[in-house]
Amino acid sequence: MGLSLTVNGDRLASAADPTTPLVDILREELHLTGAKPVCREGFCGACMVLIDGKPTPSCLMPAALADGCEIHTVEGLTTHGQLNRIQSALEASDAVQCGMCFPGMVVSLTHLLTTRPDATREDIRAALTGNICRCTGYERIVDATLLALATK
Amino acid sequence: MSDVSATMDFRRRDAADKLRGRTRYTVDRYLPGMLHAAVLRAGVPSGRIVRLDTSRAARMPGVRAIVTAADAPGMMGIGIADHPLFARDVIRYDGEPLAAVAAGTLAQAQAALAAIDVEIEPLPAVITMADALASDAPLVHPNWRDYEVLLEGGARKGNVAWEATVVRGNVDAAFARADVEIIESSFRVGRQNHVAFEPRAVVASYEDGRFHIETSTQVPWGIRNATARLLGVPPSQVRVTVPPVGGGFGLKFDLAIEPFAALLARASGRPVRLVNSREEEMLTCLFRENADVRIRSAVTRQGDIVGREAVVLMDCGAYGGEQIFLTTMTAHTLGGNYRLGSVRLVSRALYTNTAPNGAFRCCNGVYNTFALERHTDEIAARIGMDPLLFRRRNVLGDKDLGATGQVFEADVLSPMLERMDTLRDAAAPRPARTDGRLYGRATTVGTWFVFVGPSAATVNMNADGTATLVTSGVEIGSGSMMQGLPQIVASTVGIPPESVVVRAADTDAAGYDVGVGGGRTTVSLGAASLSAAQEVRAKLLKVASEMIEAAPEDLVMRHGRVEIAGAPGSGRTVAEVATYAQAKHGPVSGTGAFTGTGVPAMPGCVAGHFIDAIDMPVFAVHDCEVAVDPETGHVEVLNYRVVQDVGRALNPRAIHGQIQGGVVQGLGYALHEEVTMGSNGRVCQSGFETYRVPLALDVVPVEISLYEGAPSMGPLGTKGAGEVPILNVGAAIACAVANATGKRIQELPLTPPRVLELLLDRKRDLTLPHIAEAWADNLVRPHKTPQGNA
Ligand code: FES
Ligand code: FES
Repeated sequence: MGLSLTVNGDRLASAADPTTPLVDILREELHLTGAKPVCREGFCGACMVLIDGKPTPSCLMPAALADGCEIHTVEGLTTHGQLNRIQSALEASDAVQCGMCFPGMVVSLTHLLTTRPDATREDIRAALTGNICRCTGYERIVDATLLALATK
Repeated sequence: MSDVSATMDFRRRDAADKLRGRTRYTVDRYLPGMLHAAVLRAGVPSGRIVRLDTSRAARMPGVRAIVTAADAPGMMGIGIADHPLFARDVIRYDGEPLAAVAAGTLAQAQAALAAIDVEIEPLPAVITMADALASDAPLVHPNWRDYEVLLEGGARKGNVAWEATVVRGNVDAAFARADVEIIESSFRVGRQNHVAFEPRAVVASYEDGRFHIETSTQVPWGIRNATARLLGVPPSQVRVTVPPVGGGFGLKFDLAIEPFAALLARASGRPVRLVNSREEEMLTCLFRENADVRIRSAVTRQGDIVGREAVVLMDCGAYGGEQIFLTTMTAHTLGGNYRLGSVRLVSRALYTNTAPNGAFRCCNGVYNTFALERHTDEIAARIGMDPLLFRRRNVLGDKDLGATGQVFEADVLSPMLERMDTLRDAAAPRPARTDGRLYGRATTVGTWFVFVGPSAATVNMNADGTATLVTSGVEIGSGSMMQGLPQIVASTVGIPPESVVVRAADTDAAGYDVGVGGGRTTVSLGAASLSAAQEVRAKLLKVASEMIEAAPEDLVMRHGRVEIAGAPGSGRTVAEVATYAQAKHGPVSGTGAFTGTGVPAMPGCVAGHFIDAIDMPVFAVHDCEVAVDPETGHVEVLNYRVVQDVGRALNPRAIHGQIQGGVVQGLGYALHEEVTMGSNGRVCQSGFETYRVPLALDVVPVEISLYEGAPSMGPLGTKGAGEVPILNVGAAIACAVANATGKRIQELPLTPPRVLELLLDRKRDLTLPHIAEAWADNLVRPHKTPQGNA
């Protein structure tokens, strides 16, 4: 029994074992390496993808559970390769360092931007507790999010 | 030299792809036909390998190659070659590699590991440094005398892997003076895990009789040379290339898993991918070492430090590795802050049956600064002097001597302390404190240094007016390669920084380099790049002068043009000049090389040091305010300020980002990051659930002031800025918490349970009975006292 996944708008079939974590299918079969398996414990958020619009760590999710869902990875968040609002703000704020946490950050923050248009600094920091960054000390990321919220 | 300032607000060109998830780190590389590897690791801290039989594993499905100690004859190390790639007969730590397997899939490789027949006879283990120093301690390396010594000078014996000493002046006489108070303090810190987000990862292949290693490292040349040594091949048979690195912090400054993949690639004839699991990273990461420190000072009531002695015990784990080198740092991190009448220090790396430790951002400095600054506050309290006044009075200034007798240049810390006063005074006063919490503030100083060493660079001028910078530098996230270096080249040849292409590190393409770390990228690689760019500039100016018919000295290069000075719009574009030059004289390129010039120490002061004196001191002043909840022991950081000596800031925004990030990593060290060791010698924190790094809710915005103008041999007056921010965070937080609670703080991190114990007076004073009372009794070999240094 194959899996049928809809990733970034494309319907794809996979013959992988349905218990395989989604992140491994994305990376190894579909070569979408944006999602990073950093902790594989659901703590760091580096493997975050949108599943039916909701940010979800893809490391703990068996692929079978994503069967039939709409999956968006960070690669699917740009339109014609153009950075989206939060990506542009993060770039403009010079927020990126090693960058490994950012695909997951971008997924979470893209969601935050649409669902919490009035988020405050504190709200953003609270929302980011599921996305760990080891390099930046977060402040630039929070600044960039406020910038993105302000540039409707 | 250049007509455009190198100071720019230049954004990172690698950000957009990183934000799109397009950047291919080593961990994202999958080559066609590639095999997957896994490493079998020992599950005991100490033992003898009775049997290791891979024949059953070799018949498992998908298995293409298995390698063991027999395949890697060499030994590696810094200072002493004490480390084989695989355990040979003897196991010295839990997690030590025994064999590596390559198979069609990772699952097959892991299944094969389980099929390797191993029989191990457990041996008694030495888990703590106190165990290691016990008179009847088993030796982690019974044959330590047989190892090849790579650098002469360190004393060694039994479980003392290396010992470095400093003696300047007569400390005994200072301590015997009638007019001094003697203050003694003891400290202990645990290990810290880097938690670089990209684990160590490698893809190796064997092509045309040479190894090609693509790896996530900070030291391409180090990997090339060490891999060759272990494999017993000439270094020229190894090529190392480095894709963008997903975080280093020093973790990737040493050889890791590269040789396993290289051996498997040769044995199988296929590319081999090997990636550490997070658990492997957590358990064997080359942590920041745990350390025990005792400092004793003789201080006059007027506040002069007339004598100081210290014993620093550093746990190197099962193999010497970088700790051997890091024993050097104590002389500079404990002895480069304050004026000392006389001083003696010993720094000892001790073997234990635990996972080896390594370098981590401001290695050795963070805990020595913590110890020194707490000790300084204890001194000030004893002699009844304001701690800030004591610091102002004693910080090293122009012509003062460091511990090893080197002469420091210029007053830097003093004006930095003044700058901090101004920052602090300008802050809005906090509202009344009526929430029952305990409040405290502290200002601390710290001294670090840029580790210079050799670097090389080539700049190739392209006919389209761009320049390609070829170095062995690696972009590990700090932006030095993506911002600082292109800015230096661009300003020299008058083109925009966007027009400088930065070649990824490749040991076949670029010259030798010590590696990206120790704050050296902008300094060493920057200096080499500057001199390469200057050669290009001189060549272009010569050609342009032919084209424009003006003397080269009348020309300027700016905004992509070579023009007659004072006549904007005159002359030609850089691209036109480059194209003409290429056609007429051949392609234009320049090369540059750099290394530290070396600053002298006082003769006879040091023994066993890798660096006797520091070429480039870097200073930092940190100030913070905390609130401690007496009910829970929770420490909240209310504000944090940094004045950092940067020499000259080429890209202030990038430096600010490094400081914010470094301080937060330091807050983790100060407040909750702790690696503990079970009695079985196994690290207890195996993942993110048990090892708590700072989250967005834990941080404060850091208020930053960059102090420019201190003397520097760095290009354009720069110093490294990315390493230093973590240096005195532990110190500042500890001093602030001590001030808030009135308790003696001797250990980090200040987790809520630990703070609560202090508040409830349940914590007894830390004693370090394995440090001998008399300083000299802590030495394997007495420090020879030369003439004139008595
Ligand atoms: S890898 Fe999935 S949350 Fe960390
Ligand atoms: S930028 Fe490195 S982990 Fe966030």
